[in-house]
Amino acid sequence: MVVFPPTTPAELIALILRVITSHTFITIIIFPGFIHLTLVVIFLTWYERKLLARIQLRIGPLYAGGPGGILQPLADGVKLIFKEVMIPYKASKPLFLGIPLMMVFLSALPFAVIPFGQHWVIANIDVGLVFVFAMTSLFPSMILIFAWASNSKYPFLGGLRSLFQQVAYEIPMWISTLSVVLLAGSLNLVDIVKAQEKMWFIVPAFLSFIVFFIAIMAELERLPFDLPEAEPELVAGWYTEASGAIFMLIFMGLYMKLYLMSSLVTVLFLGGWWGPAFLPQPVWFIIKTLIVATFIIIPRGVYPRIRVDMLIKTGWTRLLIIALANIFLTILLINSGLLAAWGI
Amino acid sequence: MALNPWLAIIIWAIIIIVLTGPMLTLPMFWSRMKPDPFRDMPFESGQVPQGEARHRLVMQYYPYLLMFVVFDVVGMFLFAWGISFTRLPLNASAFVILFIVLLGAPLGYALKLALNKENW
Repeated sequence: MVVFPPTTPAELIALILRVITSHTFITIIIFPGFIHLTLVVIFLTWYERKLLARIQLRIGPLYAGGPGGILQPLADGVKLIFKEVMIPYKASKPLFLGIPLMMVFLSALPFAVIPFGQHWVIANIDVGLVFVFAMTSLFPSMILIFAWASNSKYPFLGGLRSLFQQVAYEIPMWISTLSVVLLAGSLNLVDIVKAQEKMWFIVPAFLSFIVFFIAIMAELERLPFDLPEAEPELVAGWYTEASGAIFMLIFMGLYMKLYLMSSLVTVLFLGGWWGPAFLPQPVWFIIKTLIVATFIIIPRGVYPRIRVDMLIKTGWTRLLIIALANIFLTILLINSGLLAAWGI
Repeated sequence: MALNPWLAIIIWAIIIIVLTGPMLTLPMFWSRMKPDPFRDMPFESGQVPQGEARHRLVMQYYPYLLMFVVFDVVGMFLFAWGISFTRLPLNASAFVILFIVLLGAPLGYALKLALNKENW
């Protein structure tokens, strides 16, 4: 019997048990929520190093922890937490310290609407897709403010480049998802995944998958689009002055954003949680998402960086026009009745 | 799932702040926080930093930014149309399609201006 407010210790224990076993608490703290996200970020840092090391015939982390240096990310975390936080003089202190927290916040908040399974979602809202884009489109301005706050030349140039790049690729990313919305008839991410039960949207909307994938590579500042942190030119780009805990928070934010964008690809194009029934839904979702993340990471070990004018030209001319043309293609596909067998 | 989903988002936001905040505030207690005029200089390839870091740069990005503003708003309207597309008759959608086609002309002109490298 749960009573609120509790008066006796037994009622208090009953209330706490009721809260801990509630679906909301489990989704927020354990599965799609905090513990799962932290573990995935720790895994991704290790995974990216190992994968790039394999591609470039290096060895990668080997000695920290058990097989394959699995504890290396923990060692890095401990190192960064105990390091001194260096703030460059004349830097804007509140912004320099606050923006990294804001980055983690902005990249973790959209996970509330990502459905990891039919019931494994924190908040099933009707504007899920718009919510995700609203949060991620705040990222470039955060980067620019951080770059400005550190009051140093390399970060400032990196921050400006990041702003230009992310502004150029936001529109193709945003318009290319329109064909998915047309096919599913909803902005609710749970409904979008439910509409893919018979056919993943990568088949009818293949062009928009290509545009979306290239656009998120640029949004995530992954090679070949990592101009904002181009090491030979700008040292480390917009986070040159970041050290210790600030550096760790920025990287947590970036890896969470990588996972967020990969899971968005899974939700929009790869059928979300759907898969053969011998594995539970969230497992399928995580497998697909990690495969997408792998394909985002691999070009870093393979391709060189492209020039800034090429980058902007590709974004505004090629991708935007393909994304707009794709709308007509999708309308034709829907009205031709070719997709009727799959209930679209 | 009786809880309002927006309330769940607010709880999730509070949880993020409560659990990530200590990552920044706790190191302030145990790490050495002693300002050092030489070490705290902004990094400039080992040189003493010269001049103003927050300077003005001339880059003619405004044609792109104008396109960004236009297409952001257009995208919003297209999404509003996209949700109800399957429920609308096709001749209702024809006007939206006509609008996108008409938008192509100014887009082409803006791209022509923006890609002219003499303007950069």
